[in-house]
Amino acid sequence: MSSFPTSPFLHSNLSVQKLMMQVQIATLPAMLTHIFFFGWGITIQWVLALMTALLVEFIMLKMRGRPVKPYLSDLSILITVTGLVFCIPPDAPWWIIVSGTIFAVIFGKHLYGGLGYNLFNPAMLGFAFLLISFPAHMSIYTLPHTALGFQLAFMDSFNIIFGLSSQLSLDAITGATPLGIVKTAVAMGEPIQQEATYSLFSALQFGAGWAWINLAFFIGGLWMLYTRSIRWQYPVAFLGSLSLIAFIFHTIDPTKYASVSFHLFSGGTMLAAFFIITDPVTSSTTPRGRLIYAACIGVLLYIIRNWGAFPDAIAFAILLMNMCVPLIDQYTQPRVFGHRHLLDKKSND
Amino acid sequence: MKYPSKSKLLIWLVQGYSYLYPMAKRWKHHFHGGIFPKYNKELSNSHPLKTQIIPSELVLSLQQHIGLAVEPLVKKGDLVQKNQCIADTKKGLNAPIHAPTSGIISAIEERMTPHASGIPNRCIILTPDFKETTLDNALQVSGHPPSSPKALKEIIYRAGIVGMGGAGFPTFAKIPDEANKIHTLLLNGAECEPFITCDDILMQTQAEDIVQGAIIVAQALGSSKVLCGIESNKPRAIKAMKIAAKNTPVEIKVVPTVYPMGGQKQLTQELTGLETAPNSHAIDTGILLMNVATYSAIYQAVKYGNPLTERLVTVSGLGLKEPFNIKALLGTHFNILAEQAYPKTSLNYPLIMGGPMMGVKMPSNLVPVLKTTNCILANPPKPVEEVYPCIRCGECMDACPINLLPQQLYWYSRSEEFNKVEELNVFDCIECGCCSFVCPSNIPLVQYYRHSKAEIRQLKLEEKATDLARNRHEARLTRLETEKTEKAARMKAKKAAVKKQALEKAKLTETGAITTPNPKKSAAARAAAARAAAKKPTPQKNTSSDSASITEDKIKPVSARDKAIAAAKKIAQEKRQLKAGSHPETLTLKNTSHLPDLDSTKKNKRKAAVQAVVQASKARVLAKKQASQFNPEYINNQDETKIHSEEVNQDVKLPEDKVIHKDHLAKKTGSKVKPNLTNDSKED
Repeated sequence: MSSFPTSPFLHSNLSVQKLMMQVQIATLPAMLTHIFFFGWGITIQWVLALMTALLVEFIMLKMRGRPVKPYLSDLSILITVTGLVFCIPPDAPWWIIVSGTIFAVIFGKHLYGGLGYNLFNPAMLGFAFLLISFPAHMSIYTLPHTALGFQLAFMDSFNIIFGLSSQLSLDAITGATPLGIVKTAVAMGEPIQQEATYSLFSALQFGAGWAWINLAFFIGGLWMLYTRSIRWQYPVAFLGSLSLIAFIFHTIDPTKYASVSFHLFSGGTMLAAFFIITDPVTSSTTPRGRLIYAACIGVLLYIIRNWGAFPDAIAFAILLMNMCVPLIDQYTQPRVFGHRHLLDKKSND
Repeated sequence: MKYPSKSKLLIWLVQGYSYLYPMAKRWKHHFHGGIFPKYNKELSNSHPLKTQIIPSELVLSLQQHIGLAVEPLVKKGDLVQKNQCIADTKKGLNAPIHAPTSGIISAIEERMTPHASGIPNRCIILTPDFKETTLDNALQVSGHPPSSPKALKEIIYRAGIVGMGGAGFPTFAKIPDEANKIHTLLLNGAECEPFITCDDILMQTQAEDIVQGAIIVAQALGSSKVLCGIESNKPRAIKAMKIAAKNTPVEIKVVPTVYPMGGQKQLTQELTGLETAPNSHAIDTGILLMNVATYSAIYQAVKYGNPLTERLVTVSGLGLKEPFNIKALLGTHFNILAEQAYPKTSLNYPLIMGGPMMGVKMPSNLVPVLKTTNCILANPPKPVEEVYPCIRCGECMDACPINLLPQQLYWYSRSEEFNKVEELNVFDCIECGCCSFVCPSNIPLVQYYRHSKAEIRQLKLEEKATDLARNRHEARLTRLETEKTEKAARMKAKKAAVKKQALEKAKLTETGAITTPNPKKSAAARAAAARAAAKKPTPQKNTSSDSASITEDKIKPVSARDKAIAAAKKIAQEKRQLKAGSHPETLTLKNTSHLPDLDSTKKNKRKAAVQAVVQASKARVLAKKQASQFNPEYINNQDETKIHSEEVNQDVKLPEDKVIHKDHLAKKTGSKVKPNLTNDSKED
């Protein structure tokens, strides 16, 4: 702007805050769906996570000697918090989200130099930390009200999260996730259950909360594509490769491998597709690189879901690919105007 | 090179879709990226053309454009007529300057000119007499279109026409000498910068001139195709141009409105589908692109013999109440024009020359209009926006018309890894500012690239200088080595001479014809000669082989040193040119071209001198050998001979000194020798 001594003297209305806000707004449908199916637990977790994150950010910025106000006001912390909150069970004990957030903000962000410098997606780093540290707490998930037969009240969730006395015990309202059920079935050598082979339509009809939340994420994602908050390459390549590999295996043996729509609409698939892998800081920056990056995550996700130790795999698939980003960037540079293709040049040399 | 570009079908499909998805507009044009800023063109093009004003003082900078500065042909107190040529030069890339109006030359002095550096330039100050006494047909043209490119170039050069789109490359230098080299002639009427409307107004008011100018150029160059690209946001200009181009070979093409459509390579690709390779020029591709204003100036010059003394300037900006376009005389002060537009607040902020995307902020508002001044922009300063860290969002990459990776360029520029920056093709960057425009973190990306480019250039110069210093050092070592061997050879020669002398004396004594006045001394000499002879049993063969190697060695280091000096000169020259922002090739050539000449003459002279010395020594050695055969008995009295031989040594040095002196002379005359252009600067 005018303070710059040289051109350009114009600037568009884009800003970091605007981008972050758009992403945050795009999670609203999913948030509402989540509340509808699983109760108010997620809002409590979200507030907890946000408070923790702000506090940790403040301390870290102070320790690093950075200006606090501009760096706190960039709103990037919202994305980390929201990404992590959607991954943990909504009625998990309070210290789960608090420790996860602390880990994510310190180790995922500030130790690398803050916003823009981190190698790993902070939310996924926090999620992976929790998965490895507290597997028992992370594998049981609140059941949707359609399965429970009643709506969880706000105070119910509050009491459970903070371990206060309550009529409801955690065991009474939680169960394994569909992905977990499939995983167990496959491990036991049994044919997978009906739920895992459903079509999207029937899933929505029967009120499976998972499918609805994934659908809400999908809608939010489309809006972000329209507003150009995210790039199309990520969801297209990711969902494309996941669908393809799921289709191949499902066709080979439907009793052992879940259907395409099951994979697309369960677990954190849509969350990852539109909100996590699209994080520009930790993903590839070239157009072709984004395609490769996202497609590889899709394949890794399927592999870990089916043959790995954990029921869902977005955290590990994404973290693994985060590591490959510098390599991908190096080999996918686009052809510069008037230059020959990179490969042409090499072969001609 | 032609790469498959976006298909017409896709572009057609996007036409409708772009209303649903705004950024689909990017798919409508052929080049990558681009941005859609707020154009604000209606500010200035909604007002009628302002009547010309003659200010009380015109400041004509001798450096109007890229290339060399011109030399004034007038002196203080001279009375000049309108269109009279007042400055030119015989040297290379330049364009003469003509008086924009009649008046008196009141001074030739340093004044501030529109350049970001704020360094004053020499200017001719013209005080108008408001009589407008005009030199008709100042260029003395016949009015008929020139038939050959050379004739056209001649007129264009004499009219002082430069590219009027903003870059300001002297137009004659863009045109090839031979006909039929340019198959497609392009007219740039895109005018993609926000705020600027001078080309728009020109096309509306002088469409006929532009079209006729294009036809003149096309005929002279033998171009078969003439295309004019106009952005779709100028409907009135398109209409006027279409009417003017009716029944002529000029085709008017409407191109999508996107910044930077007016870029040379971007518009060329849009109109012809051809991507211009980096470092290639108009002649290579057979395509010549010029601004519409340039064609209009060419028409004026060819038809009426009018030189370039005025141009359309847009005076606009958010800080002005009544922006306008005006046919401004060259040399009119910026603030005089800006004041005409009724500024909303006093103009205590810097004006910008050019558009907001690529314009230059002026060091002072008291600077004159140049041939390249298309716009004077008065945008009041805005509050500073916070710069955030790069979040690698990729907006800049999507906007880059060259398809670079601005974000990675920034990353490496910031960490000063300049080799990486260069690998990422930073020198292809046209500094259009699209990346900075879209950056959500408000990072001044273009500034980083400019810095990197400057740093890389500087590093390369330093690298050259280091190489030079090393070469010099090595050359010096070789020279010292050679001097040592030479000295040894001279010593040998001297000893031989002494011996010979001694022998002669001995002969005399033996025959008894002459009695020696000082018997002691002659005895000593004889003794020395005898000793030397005893010490050197095989002097002859050695000397001859030595002398051969000396001749070679001697020439090598000296010429290497000369080369080093010449290269240093060249670099200094280049540096100076870089500073002046001028064209490097022409001067460099001239400066180094005389070197081989100089070298060869020097070599010859030196060779001759060395050979003379060597021959003399050979003769002496021969004589000495003969003498030693006669006088084997005198071996003692060493001290005296030593002193004696050293004395003589200094004598022998004399011719050597003379040789060096001659070299200096040769250098002096050599530099005066007319540059021989066939010997290029491969020497370094």
